[in-house]
Amino acid sequence: MNTPFLKNKSFLYILLFIVMIAIPLITNRYWTDVASTAMFYILLALGLNIIVGYAGLLDLGYSAFFAVGSYTTGILTTQFGVSFWISIFLGAIFATVLGVLIGIPTLRLRSDYLAIVTLGFGEIIRLIANNSKFTGGASGIYGIPKPKIGSFVFQSNVLLYYLMFIFVLLAIFVIWRLGNSRVGRAWKYIREDEDAAEAMGVNGLYYKLLAYGLGAMFGGLAGSLFAVKMSAIAPESFGFMQSAMILLAVVLGGIGRISGVILGAVLVILLPEAMRSFSDWRIFLFGVLLVLTMIFRPNGLWPSKKETEEMDDPEPLKGGSKSVVS
Amino acid sequence: MKAHSKIASILLVLSFLFLTACGSGNGNEIVIGVISPTTGQSAKMGQDMNNAIQMAVDEINGKGGVNNKKIRLVFADDACDPQASTTAANKLVSENVSAVIGGYCSSAVLPASGVFNSAGIPMVVTAANSEKIPENNYKNIFLLNSTASAQAQTATNYMISNLKGKKIAILNDNTAYSVDLAERTRDAIQKAGGQVVLYESVDPNASDFNSVLTKVKSKTPDATYWTGYYAAGGLLIKQFKQQGVSGSFGVADGSVDQTLIKIAGENNAEGVFATMSPLPQFIPGAKNWSKDYETKFKQAPGPYSALSYDGMRLIIHALEQAKSDDPNAITGAIAKTKGFATFAGPVEFKANGTLTKSNFIMIGVKNGQFEMVK
Repeated sequence: MNTPFLKNKSFLYILLFIVMIAIPLITNRYWTDVASTAMFYILLALGLNIIVGYAGLLDLGYSAFFAVGSYTTGILTTQFGVSFWISIFLGAIFATVLGVLIGIPTLRLRSDYLAIVTLGFGEIIRLIANNSKFTGGASGIYGIPKPKIGSFVFQSNVLLYYLMFIFVLLAIFVIWRLGNSRVGRAWKYIREDEDAAEAMGVNGLYYKLLAYGLGAMFGGLAGSLFAVKMSAIAPESFGFMQSAMILLAVVLGGIGRISGVILGAVLVILLPEAMRSFSDWRIFLFGVLLVLTMIFRPNGLWPSKKETEEMDDPEPLKGGSKSVVS
Repeated sequence: MKAHSKIASILLVLSFLFLTACGSGNGNEIVIGVISPTTGQSAKMGQDMNNAIQMAVDEINGKGGVNNKKIRLVFADDACDPQASTTAANKLVSENVSAVIGGYCSSAVLPASGVFNSAGIPMVVTAANSEKIPENNYKNIFLLNSTASAQAQTATNYMISNLKGKKIAILNDNTAYSVDLAERTRDAIQKAGGQVVLYESVDPNASDFNSVLTKVKSKTPDATYWTGYYAAGGLLIKQFKQQGVSGSFGVADGSVDQTLIKIAGENNAEGVFATMSPLPQFIPGAKNWSKDYETKFKQAPGPYSALSYDGMRLIIHALEQAKSDDPNAITGAIAKTKGFATFAGPVEFKANGTLTKSNFIMIGVKNGQFEMVK
């Protein structure tokens, strides 16, 4: 029934999967570290994609949720000897609760107000982390133990990479299912036209809160993983630049499309590293590349299908090719 | 076919990147990693450190190198960011460096030191000085700059021994750094047999400190030590003199700035003492070195240039002692360093990697300028 094309495509996904598994085995420590950073950026970008991509809410303070997850794991594991697995669970819950709390008053407003509130919220969390005693002040928390199952410790970079990989796979599956569900359709409806959605009986505030809370949860999860990978965390990691970079990953790759967002996250991490040999010029070159991308591909490098259909895709869509994307 | 070719091209780019990433030095050179911020807000500090390190390496390579090998530096930018710092650290480890020098921001050094510790590569930290770095008890991380407790000890020694003080007042500005230093100084004074007659926090944004200074005056202290920053410090000195409070006034490194003297007024600031990191401009022996630095780089050395220069010399010394460029041998040699001469005095390390003797120097205001106290 299906064309060879689809088989070809799943073959390529499997190949990509194998490459991701093989990365720590065939490369050195440095590239494993870059790949792990890319993994947790994928997790962050996927989480933010629920908020920005699916529900169309502009969030400029996403690193706040990331910080909550990080600090929950950091504080609980170092001060109270709590196991990492409990702390990552609690980190996700705290982030979700915080997301809902900040969402209840602000999500009633239109998107631009939300952007301003979230921007402020992100700064508040960073300043609290910077000035409180329990967060270790400006130099943060150190000596965060690696996660373990029984006597098996995820000590090396390689093991942590695989741990993150598992979380990313789970996140992709969950978010892909969500995006194609009734909830996902409601989000997209709200994104396209909130008034029309409300008129059709979609509870706008409820679905927006759901998107915001779920997005925050993935931010918290990524934060906990970040804390154990780094073993030491500090407020610098949770500034506005971090929020902007995560948003950039989503926008660069293609808002609303899982594979696009993943591509964006990988590029945001990989490009500055690949340009390390240009030393001081790399940030500048990175900026130029981004501007060029936005000029020539305003919908991202790999935009979601709907936009492509309307905008510039001359290729007629055939049978199986439709079903793969989110 | 779109997605198909795209995934294929991504794979191609990825594999290309990984292939080009490999490769390392040959046997005729010793590779030393430098980790410092050369982008971001602290870029100037990082460049000042890198210059001084390059200067030390150029000198030794000009003499034919060490152990008959030339030293090659590999620079990695940590941007003063914890995340970038671990990546930079892993990059240096992948390049098979024998030792690492640098480290400006404590929050970036903390995660990086974990990477170097697990890889068994020695690191000489030449600027960052958070107490948290030695608390990890990593055996291969050495701090060339003294920590807050060392500053507290230096201040205590000066007030108790040099000034023959017994009753001491301590003021802080309620910021984390200031409170931490004030607490450590209080403990050190009590340990040394002194008496802390007053311990107060003041609001650094206030312009009138007379109420707290009246309190200080009533306690007739032999010395008053301010652990906050220069803006409030200058006003405190001015009002301290106007009220005629007994004893001397001292400040910590956060207040060492020409602005302090400007705000306080030259006459009021005269005789104020200060604890400070060993900046080249305060050390008589570093004058010639500063001149050489300026000719080479067309700019004055930065606050941590002298320490970075000494740090690189320390690594070269360790390479000579160990007669090897094996990281473990270098770690052992640095740990065994005895009385290695630096601008700030002889260097030796405790088991936790901090200096046995504080490198904080005592400076004082003389004719409207900070000068070394002798």
